[in-house]
Amino acid sequence: MKVIIIGAGKLGYKLAESMINSEVDVTLVDSNPEVINRANEHLDLLTVCANGLEIEILKDLEIETYDLLIAATSSDETNTIICSLAKKLGCKRTISRIRNPEYTEQLDFIKREMGIDHIINPDLATADEILKLALKDYNFYSGDFAKGKVQMIDICVNNMNKIIGKKLMEIDSLKGLLIAAISRDGKIKIPDGSTKLEIDDIIYFIGKRESIEKLVKKYKLNSGSINIKNVMILGGGKIGYYLANKLSEFNIKSTVVEQNNERCVYLMNNLKKGLVIHGDGTDLNLLEEENLSEMDAFIAVTGFDEQNILMSLLAKQSGIKKVITKISRPNYTNLIEKLDIDIALNPVNITVSDILRYIRGGKVVSVSLLLGDQAEVTEVIVDEDLPIVGKAISDLGLSKGIIIGALVHNGDVIIPNGNTIINKYDRLIIYSLVENVQGLDMFFKKNKEDRISELWNSNKSNGEFAST
Amino acid sequence: MNYGIVIKVMGNLLVLESLMMTPSLLISIFSREDDYIAFIVSIAITALVGFFISRPKVKNTKIKVKEGLAIVAYGWIFSSFFAALPFVISGSIPSFLDALFETISGFTTTGATIINDIEVLPRGILFWRSLTHWMGGMGILVFTVAIIPTLGVGGFQVFKAESPGPISDKIAPRIKNTAKILYKTYIAITLLEIMFLIFGGMSLYEASIHTFGTVGTGGFSTRNSSIGAFDSTYIHIVISVFMILSGVNFSLYFALYRRKWKDLLKNEELRFYLGVVASATILIGLNLYLNTDNTLGISFRDSLFQSSSILTTTGYGTANFDKWPTFSKSILFILMFIGGCAGSTGGAIKNIRILLLLKMIKREIAKIFHPRAVVPIKLGKKVVAEETILSITSFFILYITLFVGGTIIVSTQGIDLESSASAVAATLGNVGPGFGFVGPTQNYSEFNNFIKLFLSLLMILGRLELFTIIALVAPKSWKNEI
Repeated sequence: MKVIIIGAGKLGYKLAESMINSEVDVTLVDSNPEVINRANEHLDLLTVCANGLEIEILKDLEIETYDLLIAATSSDETNTIICSLAKKLGCKRTISRIRNPEYTEQLDFIKREMGIDHIINPDLATADEILKLALKDYNFYSGDFAKGKVQMIDICVNNMNKIIGKKLMEIDSLKGLLIAAISRDGKIKIPDGSTKLEIDDIIYFIGKRESIEKLVKKYKLNSGSINIKNVMILGGGKIGYYLANKLSEFNIKSTVVEQNNERCVYLMNNLKKGLVIHGDGTDLNLLEEENLSEMDAFIAVTGFDEQNILMSLLAKQSGIKKVITKISRPNYTNLIEKLDIDIALNPVNITVSDILRYIRGGKVVSVSLLLGDQAEVTEVIVDEDLPIVGKAISDLGLSKGIIIGALVHNGDVIIPNGNTIINKYDRLIIYSLVENVQGLDMFFKKNKEDRISELWNSNKSNGEFAST
Repeated sequence: MNYGIVIKVMGNLLVLESLMMTPSLLISIFSREDDYIAFIVSIAITALVGFFISRPKVKNTKIKVKEGLAIVAYGWIFSSFFAALPFVISGSIPSFLDALFETISGFTTTGATIINDIEVLPRGILFWRSLTHWMGGMGILVFTVAIIPTLGVGGFQVFKAESPGPISDKIAPRIKNTAKILYKTYIAITLLEIMFLIFGGMSLYEASIHTFGTVGTGGFSTRNSSIGAFDSTYIHIVISVFMILSGVNFSLYFALYRRKWKDLLKNEELRFYLGVVASATILIGLNLYLNTDNTLGISFRDSLFQSSSILTTTGYGTANFDKWPTFSKSILFILMFIGGCAGSTGGAIKNIRILLLLKMIKREIAKIFHPRAVVPIKLGKKVVAEETILSITSFFILYITLFVGGTIIVSTQGIDLESSASAVAATLGNVGPGFGFVGPTQNYSEFNNFIKLFLSLLMILGRLELFTIIALVAPKSWKNEI
């Protein structure tokens, strides 16, 4: 499969990086030679230093031979035009990043008229994700699978004193749960029975929702059922804007702190509800005047990772129960795990996860990248004509970096072992280290050529793309 | 530096090398010559060493710039050592140093030899000697990259360090596929030339050997008088054409394959290169016609052959050009420095660098008249980055410095200026024959061991474009200086 990405910013670069791991031939186009050099040094792809808007460049690259074009430059307008051009020149599918809230109202029209097959909006997707996490009553990064039947949470092992120092097979209190991954010193591992838990490990549990809830209760991991009423949002950028609007739908009062005066006016004019404060978000006095300590949640979504991290720590110190931070640079993620921040999110990861799901095709329901970028969780429905149907898990020859965390058979959640047999239409939730992603192919691939066409068809039927 | 992966790749390289020795083994068995034992022993040693050092599992498989340089530099040195084994064990070249000189000359596609009488050597040994040209031409490590499955982006570092020219471009998204495409093109050209030569009356064996020498732009032959031994205008022309083709950037053949004629016609380096071939041929041809008693036809045939042979740094000869008029010799001497195109199998400075240097001079002149003018240097429609220009300048300076220094070093051994200068130019540029003492009818066997070793070093330096080797042996204080 051939994919061309225009714009090697954070999103473009990360997309390229993730795709290379899964047998996709990537061409990356950017007009900045420095970015191109960097990509060349670190990634195995074809780079072109040029303006993706030039028809000559697209023709030269033989755009008609590509299966997918992703326009991820910083400008919505450029992205739209690139997609439109590429489509006219014969590129099979196009995805465009469009972030401007003004356009979100007219996306359908744009899609239809400009020949864009899909639109991604990382800010909106991030706002959605934050909202989901804010409404939950425990303080960990978590994910829902199989329509909420299966849940995943990550917990620092220090919260569960009893199991520190034990080997996984010695822990018997984990009925209906599986430790699918362990993050130690910034590295994610897929454990086996003999893996010992150490202090400061972050463990990823997966299991039935009820079992997870029990676990949370048993170890008093929930922050007491907080009824979130008041939320402070630091940063009135696009994420902040979407988030405040979404919160108001749930009757949650939001206070948006934004430094830029013009932006404040814009927010005031466009937000349906909520308070907009003009001021420096790092000014503690200002935050306290706005009742920081009485907030139920604090969400830092400014454009600066450092500011987000520091202010989140400060908020945590002031006693706020739930603190969510946006982090755009992957370099900090290892550090975050050690800090007292409840949930950290990377918008790029969220978007990449979405696109990866489409690249994989088949019956892949969702893909999520774990924060450190080193592992992925894929949810897939087993198709009837896959060769794995009817086989026991131990016969699949899975590599060490892949583990099936849960299996939903006829609506029952099963924590599988080696003897569990895979039936058709089962939902599988699979953990895999990024370097082993290729080994996942057996779960969704029948035949290479069909993938892309199937991918879009299946997509039409379940239509849950991250755009509106 | 991550030595684990460097050693592992080296192991794979050696295993591959032992595989490449097998055709020679088959030839010796087939021709019932007793050097087959030498091949069996060499294959066994190379394969075993390669196998054992590629066994250990390496945790960190990252290849960064440093590792890429080390893999290429050590890879060339080690594979030359092992490739010398058959010569020594079979007794064809008893001295190990001589055998090393011969294999380095083979791998670097220089074609300088220390063997006085080639024709008495066994067929298997001669085949191996020429096969080193073929392997070295496109790059032994590019070959390894194409075959080793998971070097990933590390492969690009290796590729960049080995492939000639200031800018290395991929032609396919994956480095592995790029290497494969290049090798497929290379094999296609090789097969084509073998066919043409057989059609001209050569045996399959000799056609293969001369093809390896041509497409690798090496210059080893099976005859003492090189191509001159074949008195056939057809063969001379075929080899001339294929030498010129091998001096062209191989990624252009891919453009041709994709029917992008425009890319080919608009390529400035190609035009410059063909211009150099044409003008050298015409100048030398006229000079020969006017000053010797050759006919016009013969003058131009010899001139075309010799110009393309020296320019592409092949080093085949059809005439004793050492006896040619001084004007022709001067032109040939200049050609030794220009070399082939970037991304070809040819050596020396490369046309693209010369072209850009000339453009730089033009710019400097323009700046005298318009001191504040902004004049970017363009190649085709694209602006060449100032960094590239700078690196080309420093490459050129280093090349000339090595040439001058090398000439002085060789002359300390009591060798006349013409011979020492041309010996250094011919080894540094991977040409092969020079003038005088190392002229087309002579060889390098009369040099003492010191000079042989020194010239071997120059050959590797030239083939790997100077910096790869120099970066590794540079004093620590230079490496850390930023």
